[in-house]
Amino acid sequence: MDENAKRTKETMTSESFISTSERTIIENSMVILLQGLRGEVTTVDLRNESTARGRVVNVDAFMNVRLEDVLYRDRRGSIVRLEDLFVTGRNIRYVHIPDHVDIMKTIEGELKKIHRVRNFGKEGGGRKEFIKKAN
Amino acid sequence: MVLLKNLRPPTEGVRLQQADTTAVLDGQKLGNGTLYIAETRLSWFDGAGLGFCLEYPTIGLHAISRDVSAYPQEHLYVMVNGKLSEENNAEMAEKAADEADDGVGSEEEDDNEGGDDGEEGGITEIRFVPGDKAALESMFAAMCECQALHPDPEDDDSDNDFEGEEYDVEEAEAGKNTHLLQLTTIDVQSDVYCRQRHRKLTQCQPVS
Repeated sequence: MDENAKRTKETMTSESFISTSERTIIENSMVILLQGLRGEVTTVDLRNESTARGRVVNVDAFMNVRLEDVLYRDRRGSIVRLEDLFVTGRNIRYVHIPDHVDIMKTIEGELKKIHRVRNFGKEGGGRKEFIKKAN
Repeated sequence: MVLLKNLRPPTEGVRLQQADTTAVLDGQKLGNGTLYIAETRLSWFDGAGLGFCLEYPTIGLHAISRDVSAYPQEHLYVMVNGKLSEENNAEMAEKAADEADDGVGSEEEDDNEGGDDGEEGGITEIRFVPGDKAALESMFAAMCECQALHPDPEDDDSDNDFEGEEYDVEEAEAGKNTHLLQLTTIDVQSDVYCRQRHRKLTQCQPVS
């Protein structure tokens, strides 16, 4: 599988169940940057003063974040190791962007993926069924 | 969140049912019972009719804990925004007795959800310890899916109202004349339908 096909396959697997409206939300908000953090280890500060540090598995359009191999520190300071963590977007205060992440490149990369999904299968056209017949 | 008698387990939209599951609420063991992860709410019932249910918007996070040095058994950890109080219990029990079994939420419950952002009211920690540890991953996944069905309705920070600005495929493709195909009426709104049509149409011969 060449690089392009590999990336498309990976995109399709992780995003094949995203609705059009979710994709539009993602495209038009900073959540797209967080989606680019998939695979990175970072810290999420929660609104209840606790923090969770782990590898980003997924971020959806509503900023729900899924982390794995997590060190969760509650607001009293005690640390717990959690294997898999899902935190609702509503409860997130900050997501730390790792220093080595190039923010613009990440956003542009994610936008490319979305456009690739949207134009899946085209050579130079897009969804051919929407081409109007010229009379 | 309430502790009620005579609540029946959900019958519809149950993504996962895990029997032989102990519930521990803020460190207090409630006994052994069955966990129901349904699309509308999360609930747990012991065999004797005692149970509680949680609305997904109140759940701040959930996680799998396999660290036995922190807690002696592998379990599903759920953090709920808000504290369970004795007063709340009594009032909610009354209200729920009046309302339909739907449990669409007494006003009391809604107030709690609405006003509480986890900082004032504190949190409640619940642990679900299944007899079958291998089930933890499917329990976690089922909860993730159900949580995704309940996006935050009170989110004023992000402007997610993009009704009129969605990428209009028809507009974007108008004017591109690479291939001409016979068209039938197509519902632009339905994503899935479009994908199916695309698959069918790519099998058609282009009309020159």
